[in-house]
Amino acid sequence: MDRTDAGALVQAAADGDAAAWKTLVEGLSPLVWSVVRAHRLSDADAHEVYQTAWFRFAQHLGRIREPGKAGAWLAATARNECLKVIRSSRRLTLTDDPHVLDRVSEDGTPEQSLLDSEEAAAQSERVRRLWQEFEELGERCRQLLRVLMASPPPSYQDVSAALGIAVGSIGPLRQRCLRRLRARLEARGAI
Amino acid sequence: MSGMHDDGLHDDGLHDDGLHDEVFDEGGWDDEEFDAGLLEEELRQAAAVLDPVPPELQQIAVDAYALHDLQARVAELTFDSLVDSLPVRGAGDTPRMLTFRAGEVTVDVEVTAHGLMGQVLPPQPARVEVLGGPRPGSSLAADDLGRFTAAAPPPGPFALRLRTGADVVVTEWLRA
Repeated sequence: MDRTDAGALVQAAADGDAAAWKTLVEGLSPLVWSVVRAHRLSDADAHEVYQTAWFRFAQHLGRIREPGKAGAWLAATARNECLKVIRSSRRLTLTDDPHVLDRVSEDGTPEQSLLDSEEAAAQSERVRRLWQEFEELGERCRQLLRVLMASPPPSYQDVSAALGIAVGSIGPLRQRCLRRLRARLEARGAI
Repeated sequence: MSGMHDDGLHDDGLHDDGLHDEVFDEGGWDDEEFDAGLLEEELRQAAAVLDPVPPELQQIAVDAYALHDLQARVAELTFDSLVDSLPVRGAGDTPRMLTFRAGEVTVDVEVTAHGLMGQVLPPQPARVEVLGGPRPGSSLAADDLGRFTAAAPPPGPFALRLRTGADVVVTEWLRA
């Protein structure tokens, strides 16, 4: 989400405009979700961290010093909560269960139904392979790409806040990680 | 999915040592950026299909607008045992110690598997509401020394809303 847009929406929401809040949620929700997913929490923990970030954002609305950086604020908050979950190891459950992917494919979402149509079968298979290779990348690349693939694409400031890495290193790391992913896909004959 | 896990691929990227990188380093930067952009966009589309924000979760975020409360002062988290203290070796179920502060008011909270205990400082009676989300929470009374207890720990994110006389203070949202 654009900084000017985010700043104006935060201001409007703080002044009582519920529609502005909804637009903020729709624009930044995928970023928050991506940050949580990048940290590989269990589903239950992921849901709670996501909620915590939004509850706190709502609570601080109108007190946020730089409203234009709402994305970075949410991303940093989500990251901190993820790190706390990981630190209290008794709560840590890795979602490294390979069947998670199978489950995703069986839940019959509208998108999935679309993919199930015959002409889309090849595309569906391609998406699945892409996701499989992405999931098997090294941890650093997997984290970075999971955040970068939020929609709309996050700014590098947001990514920096989400992962605690310097803005200047994101570009080169991104290049490297996408190069690796492409190499893996090519090695599997998936491209 | 079949056939994808019988090739010893559980390397977690450890053998993905970047040997392929050189192949591309000689290529033009623009071409590489073009390809990278395409691949990133493909990932974005894949994420939208395979790992979208659960709609019911996003609705909770929309509803969270109700938590926007300009009457209340926010008590910021100033101490969290999970972050600010070293773990005790061998201690299984150590309580989570939290301190929140808003101006001169301090709230100390201890969360265990069995419940929640807290104290408002300086000591004073208060109504304490345990919030679990945008809906009204359960209400407790703090005694004359500002102490309060809840029989069960909050199941998810929580905040405490304290009324002391005319003052309303809400602790920062947190997962216990």
